Amino acid sequence: MMAVSRSAASAIAMAGPAVVATLMIVTFSGLELLGHTPFAVGPFRNIAEAAGMGAASEVLRLLGNGEDPNRVLPIRGAIISSSVRQATALEAAIWSRRRELIELLDRRGAIVDAPTRQHLACLAADLDARDIVEFLSSGRAPACEHGRTLDLVLERTRKLEQ
Amino acid sequence: MKWRWLSYGYAAIVAAAMGYFLWDVPVQVSDSYGNIVTASQGTLGSLVSSEFHQRAYLRPFLWGVIRVVLDLSRGHYFEWFRGWHIAQIVVLIVLFLRLVRPSTWSGAAAVPIGLAALIGMHTFAGTVQEAFPINTFMTVLICAFAAADLALGPPGSAPPKRWAIMREGGRDITASLLFVFAALTVESGLLVGVVFIAAYLVGARGVSRAGIGVQLALIAAYFVLRFGILHVGSPGLEERQSGFGFSSLSPDDLVARFGSNPLPFYAYNVVSSWLTVFLSEPRGGTWGFTRDLLRGEPSPAALVNVVASLLGSLVLGLYAWRRRGDWLARRFDRADQLVLVFIVVAAANAVLSYGYTKDVILSPAGAFFAVALAVASRDFLESIGNMPPRHAAAAIVMVAVLSATWSVRAIGAHLGLRASAAALRGEWAYVDLWLERKSHVPTDPSALALKRRLEDDAVRRHPLRPMLAGEWTQWFPE
Repeated sequence: MMAVSRSAASAIAMAGPAVVATLMIVTFSGLELLGHTPFAVGPFRNIAEAAGMGAASEVLRLLGNGEDPNRVLPIRGAIISSSVRQATALEAAIWSRRRELIELLDRRGAIVDAPTRQHLACLAADLDARDIVEFLSSGRAPACEHGRTLDLVLERTRKLEQ
Repeated sequence: MKWRWLSYGYAAIVAAAMGYFLWDVPVQVSDSYGNIVTASQGTLGSLVSSEFHQRAYLRPFLWGVIRVVLDLSRGHYFEWFRGWHIAQIVVLIVLFLRLVRPSTWSGAAAVPIGLAALIGMHTFAGTVQEAFPINTFMTVLICAFAAADLALGPPGSAPPKRWAIMREGGRDITASLLFVFAALTVESGLLVGVVFIAAYLVGARGVSRAGIGVQLALIAAYFVLRFGILHVGSPGLEERQSGFGFSSLSPDDLVARFGSNPLPFYAYNVVSSWLTVFLSEPRGGTWGFTRDLLRGEPSPAALVNVVASLLGSLVLGLYAWRRRGDWLARRFDRADQLVLVFIVVAAANAVLSYGYTKDVILSPAGAFFAVALAVASRDFLESIGNMPPRHAAAAIVMVAVLSATWSVRAIGAHLGLRASAAALRGEWAYVDLWLERKSHVPTDPSALALKRRLEDDAVRRHPLRPMLAGEWTQWFPE
């Protein structure tokens, strides 16, 4: 009897954790197939969220679906921060600190004019994203009032909270 | 019988879960797009024969298989290349079960930990997280497991003598074809010959003495062909950066340090490669976990890796200790043969990594570690019944920690696939920038059409699945 219970205990100790891990993976996969996303940030609700997470492929896909990278969109607090919940995809891309993503959006014609480029360069300067500043202002230091552009973006969220 | 079917049922669930995560991984840009363009040129025959005249690498069947799947796909690249990879996982897991043969309660209880070790081993990640677009290391794993199955497989009920001779001849011919295919797919394929020879030396007679003679002749022929006739040579120090000590050395550093006498560097790589199979440290020649531990900041994931491997190696060591009497008397049962084949494959795999060591190159040794761990764990489970109560309690706790740490690694392997899928999609988003920087902008209409199709597959037709996030992910090795 003792030997049988010991065998059972050792078999459970050996197989149990691995079987539980497999069941966790299967449950996770099943939930995901059913549209639930446990332990995940996504799916992204719009192009600004995708840009904020630096998910370039999703940015491209949503751009192809007709989403506007210059439109101010709601962003969940977990994407950038709880103080940045209203931003354009271009602004959110600067928070991702991926220069290539800005370059990609620029190639796709998302930076429509010089004031937009200037706004983004100043935001990048406020966030100390130097390589993005360099790309947007072609190596020249942009004429920005320190902290003003960042404050402008943060103000949107503050207004939302009032 | 019921334990066997239970094990196969469980393995089917493991394969399905891995398949679900694999289906998320797009065909990559680097190492795949260019390879597909190259593989689509000319005929299958001209493609394979031209690969016999390359420098540094001799991998004609790698290209042949890519071309065959490419032709079969008829433009459905994602479905065919991903489907091929998933089919490979299924075949590998079936072969794993054929090797460990779970026919008792203890055998069935050891299957989950064996599969967790197979999938969770750090050397395995490179066989699923990337493809070229067919992962050659995965192909070699299948060939090596098939070789072990062939070598260790029992003759079954004795057939009439005439049939027995034909069957033996058939097995020998299959063994030879398996070796030729594996060795000419990637250099690690030479390990298939090592598997046959090691199995024969420990008493397995699935392949006859004449068949082993042919294997030896084929190994010799490979080296004559590669170095004496085709003058393919092997990669030099200047090819890649490499881990050394607590950091890595650039190709220039390597040449400066070891250019005049590379033997110490080769010896370092062999020892590092061998140790990583048993300890999960060093990784790619770099002692990262040890470095971080000395700084007082070890990564939780690396800690899980090392604990799992240490305990796994301990179970293997205990098995060898218990069986030493029989081994010295040259009495080997099937489990002994599997453990000893693993030991030989680990040593041979380490030697093959003399010039360059990285995790995926050690994937054959890692896969056989999982097989050996499964059979040694089965034996350990059975021995717990005969231990004094205190020892048994300690053994059960150790088994639970062993299983838990390998389970964490197996979950980490799935998380790694998800992270890899996101990274590869990112590559496709930036494909134009990447090709421009590499000065490889395609101008050929078929290459352009292929790029558009693969980009469409990765970005639009199979979009990014939700990204897993949270501090908890740091505990899972990817």
